[in-house]
Amino acid sequence: MEYVVQQILNALSIGGNYALLALGLAIVFSVIGLVNFAYGEVIAVAGYVMFAVFAVSGIDYAVVLMPIGILAAVGISIALERVAFRPVRYAPAATGLLTAFGVSIVVKNFFVTLVATRSKSVPTPEWLAYQIDIGLARIQVIQLLETTATAVALLLLVLILRRTNIGLAMRAAARDFDMVRMVGINANKVIAAAFAVSGFLAGLAAIFIIARRGVVDPFMGFTPVLKAFVAAVLGGFGSLGGAVVGGFFLGALEVFFQIVLPPSISGYRDAFVFVLVSVILVWRPEGLMGTKRQFGDKDE
Amino acid sequence: MTGMQRTFKGAALTALLPIAIALLVIALGDGAQVRILSVFLINLILVIGLQMFMGNTSIVNLGHVSFMGIAGYAAAILTIPASIKQTIIPEAPFGLAAFQMGPIEAGIMAIILAMLVALIVGVVVTRESGISATILTLALLVIVHTVLVNWVELTRGMRALYGVPMKANAWLLLGCAVLVIFLGRWFRDSPLGVQLRASGESRIAAESAGVNVRLVRLIAWVLSSGVVALGGVLYVYLIGSVSPKSFYFDTTLLTLAMLILGGMHSISGAVIGVIVVTAGFEIMRYFESSPVIFGVKFPEFLGLTGFFLGLIIVLSMALRPKGVVGTDEIDESWERRRQDQSERTSAAASRSHA
Repeated sequence: MEYVVQQILNALSIGGNYALLALGLAIVFSVIGLVNFAYGEVIAVAGYVMFAVFAVSGIDYAVVLMPIGILAAVGISIALERVAFRPVRYAPAATGLLTAFGVSIVVKNFFVTLVATRSKSVPTPEWLAYQIDIGLARIQVIQLLETTATAVALLLLVLILRRTNIGLAMRAAARDFDMVRMVGINANKVIAAAFAVSGFLAGLAAIFIIARRGVVDPFMGFTPVLKAFVAAVLGGFGSLGGAVVGGFFLGALEVFFQIVLPPSISGYRDAFVFVLVSVILVWRPEGLMGTKRQFGDKDE
Repeated sequence: MTGMQRTFKGAALTALLPIAIALLVIALGDGAQVRILSVFLINLILVIGLQMFMGNTSIVNLGHVSFMGIAGYAAAILTIPASIKQTIIPEAPFGLAAFQMGPIEAGIMAIILAMLVALIVGVVVTRESGISATILTLALLVIVHTVLVNWVELTRGMRALYGVPMKANAWLLLGCAVLVIFLGRWFRDSPLGVQLRASGESRIAAESAGVNVRLVRLIAWVLSSGVVALGGVLYVYLIGSVSPKSFYFDTTLLTLAMLILGGMHSISGAVIGVIVVTAGFEIMRYFESSPVIFGVKFPEFLGLTGFFLGLIIVLSMALRPKGVVGTDEIDESWERRRQDQSERTSAAASRSHA
């Protein structure tokens, strides 16, 4: 029993991280149809800014560094939209995808050129690794924080989307952007808001990714975003609820395979995960939470 | 001029530039430059292979490099002398450790194997359209890479397999590349290619006109994988060794960038894309290695080639989203411009008569 609870907690914290990132991808996709593969670099920027602040000033209080990291992520996300993605806003999806790949390569190599290819260590507070006994299982502080932060962030996002005008505009834009513009809402503002929210989620996820690894390097964002991308598609790309479900589902799937696969073939875990993901996509191309599209609907 | 003739002339025109470059480098270049040329020709084959599916169906394919990997590994394992295999992969399944064959037979076997895998995978991939299909190709890339890394008895895992006979030279690669240019152009212009491109623009319209979209996509997928597999086999015969990291995201993104930069809907676009990116890369590599220009020693800039590659993608997407060449083949756009011009002059002539 204790073991089961332990693993469920593991799945929740891994899944929570995927859910944050999947949501960040989905919110941008739903508004402007961009598959943002440069999202991993937003994570890297958050990490490097925290590293730079620490290296220059010597401040190693997590309370100071964390907000700085999140602000940096929001800033770079908005900046990338302005500089790179606005020119290709109305282009086909493949153009946006390639632009995102290009941005990703540029930012990555910017760090390689100016900092180093090798990883740089960032101070992580010791108390993150403390274990708390919660009766049925022992849980690390970081896991607890991660799951809580994910829950709070999701709640906050739901409030913004449901209770504010800009949230309403974003939800409407996800359905029909032309209509939103026709009723007089500033397109640039809605898109900037979507990128800001997306950046915030990346910043939050970045903090936990870095807290686990203890180091930053130019390529740190790649794998998490790849997983998040799969999670978002699994949930139904563009569906915000779907991204969250997909994230937690993928987290659970990984933990599940980690447990059931015998050690001799545990290296194949990712292969199993991706086979299952493919099966689900073939079974439900619109994703777990997506709405079924008929031929001839918009976007087909 | 019949359609077939036009296709042939167009392909010949497209092949002209790579042939000229290759002859120039082989005649004047040193060993290192011939090596760059060889990699360039292999990239050309890979990118045209990618174009045959992606350019005609407009489905972004992230999984093509897996067929390069399957064929590359198959060719390597079949051709490495048994004596070397006894030391590096003594426990290879199916008695492969004691088995050995010539490079040509092995290459053909490897390509057939890759196409068989493509056929099975293709039945699934071609069911989907758009982003779901792209994710399936991405899943394929990850799955094949995971298997290559983990099937240690057969592939030696992350470590390289070496001892492959280095049978590929620049002439062979040039011959194959030119052949592939003709194949790609013929496929694009064939009735099948036209049906494919129609289904890429609007699946529903193509289906209502009687196109069996899944079947034509499957054929394109298998053919495209076969060409990419050829690239993989030649790559292994050129390098003489093989390791899983050559068949993952770096190669995927590089070839994808080449294709989209040039213009993914045409063979001329694929060719121009490979030329531009390779040239840019080599120039940047020169600056990266702290060169001395006019007596000034420049500092070393690691990451400059990558920076350049990214920048060129972003800029070309912003300025020319359809690629340098655009949607049509070069000869097609020239033909159109000439027709426009002659119409304009004849119109002007008739006006002056009146």
